[in-house]
Amino acid sequence: MNTATPVIDIQHLVRRYGHTDAVNGLSLRVAPGRCYGFFGRNGAGKTTTIKCLLNLLRPTAGDIRVFGLDPARHEVAVKSRLAYVPDYVAFYPWMTVRETLDYLASFREQWNRDTERALLDQFRLDPGQKTSHLSKGQRTQLALLVAICPEPELLVLDEPTSGLDPIVRREFIETVIGAYQESDPGRRTVFVSTHLIAEFEGLIDEFTIIDRGREVMTLASDTARERYQKIYARFATEPPVVDLGEAKVFRREGRELEVIVNGNSAEVLARLKALRPEAINTEALTLEEIFVTALKTGGPVA
Amino acid sequence: MLIQLDFKSGKPVYLQVVDQIKAAAASGALKPGEPLPSIRPLAEQLRLNRNTVAKAYTELEGQGIIETVAGRGCFLRLNNSPFRKEVRRQLLADELDHAVVQAHHLQIGRTDFLALAAERFDAFEQKRADAEPNSSKQEKP
Repeated sequence: MNTATPVIDIQHLVRRYGHTDAVNGLSLRVAPGRCYGFFGRNGAGKTTTIKCLLNLLRPTAGDIRVFGLDPARHEVAVKSRLAYVPDYVAFYPWMTVRETLDYLASFREQWNRDTERALLDQFRLDPGQKTSHLSKGQRTQLALLVAICPEPELLVLDEPTSGLDPIVRREFIETVIGAYQESDPGRRTVFVSTHLIAEFEGLIDEFTIIDRGREVMTLASDTARERYQKIYARFATEPPVVDLGEAKVFRREGRELEVIVNGNSAEVLARLKALRPEAINTEALTLEEIFVTALKTGGPVA
Repeated sequence: MLIQLDFKSGKPVYLQVVDQIKAAAASGALKPGEPLPSIRPLAEQLRLNRNTVAKAYTELEGQGIIETVAGRGCFLRLNNSPFRKEVRRQLLADELDHAVVQAHHLQIGRTDFLALAAERFDAFEQKRADAEPNSSKQEKP
């Protein structure tokens, strides 16, 4: 697919806490320029994986490469090319916004002052404000600003929008699309872990669903929406039990049926049409619905 | 021209953008020589990956619908398909086949189908005429 060195390459990652395997044999690969979604329930192993990527945790087993480098051995080389927005953001409380920006910029080789000015303005952040007086939304905005100004090749976002109001969430995503991808979008890679999937639907072009430390599925978003469809059929009388192959009857209520198909919609449609329905229609599942379906049925379905 | 995305249609997102821009061009919502929105604002507005918008524009350019003028952006071209007439006819025939299949399942016969096609042609021509600056609907100065 892409011969360029993957920005992230994780092979058989295991990370154990005592007797618990937080991550248990996870592999995934992110090509440059992609916006990659990392979806899982709370406690699925998302944050542990991200911390291993950033060398904040040592893997128990497995192999991690970021820009083709081992983040444990080439920590500075890796970290100078990425930025990270965690789910809980902390700044030194005694610093103002201005002091925080100058302090954090001093660690970076480059810092785009125009972007800084534009985003301070857009987020209506007061440079003279002490960071301890910022709201949760403002702290996240400041963290995003700090992440984007150095123009990193990789932006790692861990549950960035949870707990924020809808307007801040929208602005956050628009900023990732607008300011972050502004120059050289082919080298602006996003790796975002979230369970607020619907908000990122248009942004994500490939994703992995993780559950209990293991990969459940990895697909391109367009492929996923094409493959997972919901067929609704209404009959004149209650339909007999139909053999729909691997498709699952999702809901059944008197004369109505709702079936979820995974790649075999033509076949299932034909079988349902043979029963002469009064009405039948098909729609794609959204990524969020695919997520729910994948975790409800359990096990690999892709 | 306002684009509406539908993630439930099952159609790849970049193709939705392509088809809607083509429809806008056919209905006069977008006129030859008019600029298309540039990638960043359109991506922000649709909350869509920029690469997806860029892919749609590349596709439209390949189909000869739009052209990129260096430093000035993308513009709708005059109706100049780069394909020969028989190729264009074949492309349309493939599209029509879908409609004919749909017509069969919806029990719409040949006569009704052709009448409907004529009606749709009229509707688009009307929209284009309404979009013309010299049309009778223009406001008085």
